[in-house]
Amino acid sequence: MNFDLTETQQEASQRAHMFARTYLDGIAYDLDRCGVLPKATLDALAIHDFFGLLVPKASGGVGAGFINHILVIEAFSRSCPAIASILNNHALAVHAIAQWGSDAQKQHYLPSLATGRRLGALAIHEHGPSLGIGPDALLASCRDDGFTLTGTKAFVRNAGAADLYVAFATLEPVAKNPSLTAFLIDAHTPGLTIGPRLDTMGLKGCPVAHLIFETVAVSRDALLGIESGGSAIVDRLLSLGSVAEAAQSVGIGRAAVKHAADFAEKRVQFGQPIATLQAIQTLLAEAATDCHLAWLGIQRASQLVEDGGAFEVDAAMVKTFVGRFGAKMLIDAIQVEGGLGISESKPFGVDGTMPLARLFRDMAGTLLLDAPGDFPDTLIAKSITCTGKP
Amino acid sequence: MDLESPEQQAVRAAARKFVANNIIPRADEFDKSGEFHEYLLEAAKASKIFTMAIPTEYSGLGYDARTQALVLEEWGYGCAGMGTTLAASILSMEAVLIAGNDEQKRRYFAPMLNTEIGAFGLTEPDAGSDVGAGTTTAAREGDGYRINGAKCWITNGGVASVYVIFALTDVLKGTKGLSAFIVERDRSGFIIGDKEHKLGLRSSNTVYFELKDVHVPVVNLLGHEGDGMKIAMKTLDTARPAIAALAVGLAQRCLDECVEHLHRRFPHKPFPGQTLQFKLADMQIQVDAARQFVRHTMALRDAGMPFARESAISKTLCTDMAMTVSTQAVRLMGSYGYTSELGKFMRDAKVMQIYEGTNQIQRLVISRAVLAPTPKAVPLSSAGAS
Ligand SMILES: Cc1cc2nc3c(=O)[nH]c(=O)nc-3n(C[C@H](O)[C@H](O)[C@H](O)COP(=O)(O)OP(=O)(O)OC[C@H]3O[C@@H](n4cnc5c(N)ncnc54)[C@H](O)[C@@H]3O)c2cc1C
Repeated sequence: MNFDLTETQQEASQRAHMFARTYLDGIAYDLDRCGVLPKATLDALAIHDFFGLLVPKASGGVGAGFINHILVIEAFSRSCPAIASILNNHALAVHAIAQWGSDAQKQHYLPSLATGRRLGALAIHEHGPSLGIGPDALLASCRDDGFTLTGTKAFVRNAGAADLYVAFATLEPVAKNPSLTAFLIDAHTPGLTIGPRLDTMGLKGCPVAHLIFETVAVSRDALLGIESGGSAIVDRLLSLGSVAEAAQSVGIGRAAVKHAADFAEKRVQFGQPIATLQAIQTLLAEAATDCHLAWLGIQRASQLVEDGGAFEVDAAMVKTFVGRFGAKMLIDAIQVEGGLGISESKPFGVDGTMPLARLFRDMAGTLLLDAPGDFPDTLIAKSITCTGKP
Repeated sequence: MDLESPEQQAVRAAARKFVANNIIPRADEFDKSGEFHEYLLEAAKASKIFTMAIPTEYSGLGYDARTQALVLEEWGYGCAGMGTTLAASILSMEAVLIAGNDEQKRRYFAPMLNTEIGAFGLTEPDAGSDVGAGTTTAAREGDGYRINGAKCWITNGGVASVYVIFALTDVLKGTKGLSAFIVERDRSGFIIGDKEHKLGLRSSNTVYFELKDVHVPVVNLLGHEGDGMKIAMKTLDTARPAIAALAVGLAQRCLDECVEHLHRRFPHKPFPGQTLQFKLADMQIQVDAARQFVRHTMALRDAGMPFARESAISKTLCTDMAMTVSTQAVRLMGSYGYTSELGKFMRDAKVMQIYEGTNQIQRLVISRAVLAPTPKAVPLSSAGAS
């Protein structure tokens, strides 16, 4: 058993940390305030090849692999989780094309996505109780030369900023157990409008909006994979997403623990640095432990992804774990800093801004359960009980 | 059996109506802007609710502790930030109720009868949990005291008209040299600094202020010189369960919002899967248990019995519970939680684990009571022998 990163992975991790310190530390506070992504940051991400990590070399990408992607997400999340979120949504959309796209689609889309000239996004969620059900579900009807799409995709990240959406629709007539079909939708397609940007609690640099499709006509070329083959794609993307989001929460958690620990060494109450108090040590130790154990699970799940094995149960376990402890890491880190921990600005007596309030909000945005009733527990339970076995 | 008296039921109903009409519709707006909700003081004028802790002989509403908790719970249901304005004003009044003489009470409460508010100034940059590390001084001078120093994180600090402020009258005696003073806002040398921009309770006004040669007459000293620490601790004991009551309201609101959301999103499915059902049950278990503990604490106080231990427990139990329940609610509602005002409850709850004494300091108090050498239980070995 080997828990160590390869030399290449170590280098990739160092590069990501260096990039984060150089380009992201400085923008995180303002990005959280104004929400507008600086062009210079996007350019820097592109120059340093961060948009093409999951794109094979043959298609103009870096072909770095999923572990590398996870390392980047974790590193970026320590500085600016919103950027990590943008990048992750892009990477998953790109991955879908690399994995399921036709040769023509790969040639057409991947080079510009891999180099960051174009940004990708996933449009999965809907307002209804489950995908394909509900008054504004995205439905696709077959025409001679293609499809017409009508409906709404809810809470799409990178909405508005993205040039290309991987959108999942249900074919009409809607079957009793509807299955999904994936489409590649250019942002400028007539009939597609991006709803108003939603006010989010955290990850404020990553725009979220609904996509409204009004008889959007696309040709058959827009079909990604096979008709009704979208559910398998969604499942895989959500599982990969679970691992990446867990990495994001570990990055946030580690940054918070580090900041709180540094704070505790400096803050003196009752004649001693509060870091010497056992109550403070316990808060820091538990958060550090949760980060560490989550990371081991993430590493293992990522290795399975890279080896091409089944990783879904591991991904679900990682999601359950960070779901249980992720929020607590930030709740406790802020507690260590007392009143100053909840400051959103430059409070009296402090040089610069306090980051934990922002990271607390970013963490909340990282841990959402978006598929209602679809708890990771269910998948895990099915893997260990007889009823779930085929 | 009805646990609330008819009077209490009427108070709760009135508070609920006030909150529904005046707080819930605007809480989000003031959370976003972070501005102080001035309008609320005007709206509350008719009900005189800001005087609920003032005894009737001083023309206040004179609610007992249990009734005050009902009101605070309803305010917490609407907006814990606005509730904090009310609770912090009462906090300052408690200090006067505990240590003030008749004339001081009359003087301190007079502006409150006109819905002006008070503030309680204890914390300093280097004296948070360690209250004794404060450096604000009050030097005896002629017929009064000259106060110098700075206070931070003071709720209502920029909007109050009267303050209870703690300062050292004898620097050499440490906490035994701490004294409490009434300080009116319009005294010269009282300089209100910047407002804090906070994660939660954003519309509650929190400021840093300085006192530069602020002169107060001797009649503004509460109790005697050196009584400050005792007054501060007793005041906080009395006031902490108010924060607990706000937290209970906040958590109940999260639960209600969750249920409401589920009904909206799954109109044909009254019961979601068991995972979700049980999570909701767990939330209600915690909220209900916490609410009962606040009632118990308040009942002890109304009965004139010791309640310092219960005060610390209720503050810790309820604010930790509110943190858990609000976090759970945001997560369960997914993107809906994250893009709605639900996130506010989570941000508000976080601040409540810190102010009025951090939950670690409460645990210090509680564990001291637990470990105190007064064995209540019969030791196991001797129990078997009898
Ligand atoms: C929104 C808000 C409103 C407030 N309003 C008021 C107000 O109206 N009036 C007022 O006077 N103050 C007010 N405060 C101040 C508040 O009471 C203090 O923030 C609080 O007492 C903690 O002090 P601190 O922030 O300096 O944290 P610190 O005391 O520096 O604590 C940092 C950490 O160390 C821990 N710690 C400290 N000592 C110990 C110990 N002995 N054992 C174990 N752990 C310990 C704390 O629990 C905390 O986790 C307010 C604060 C906030 C955030």
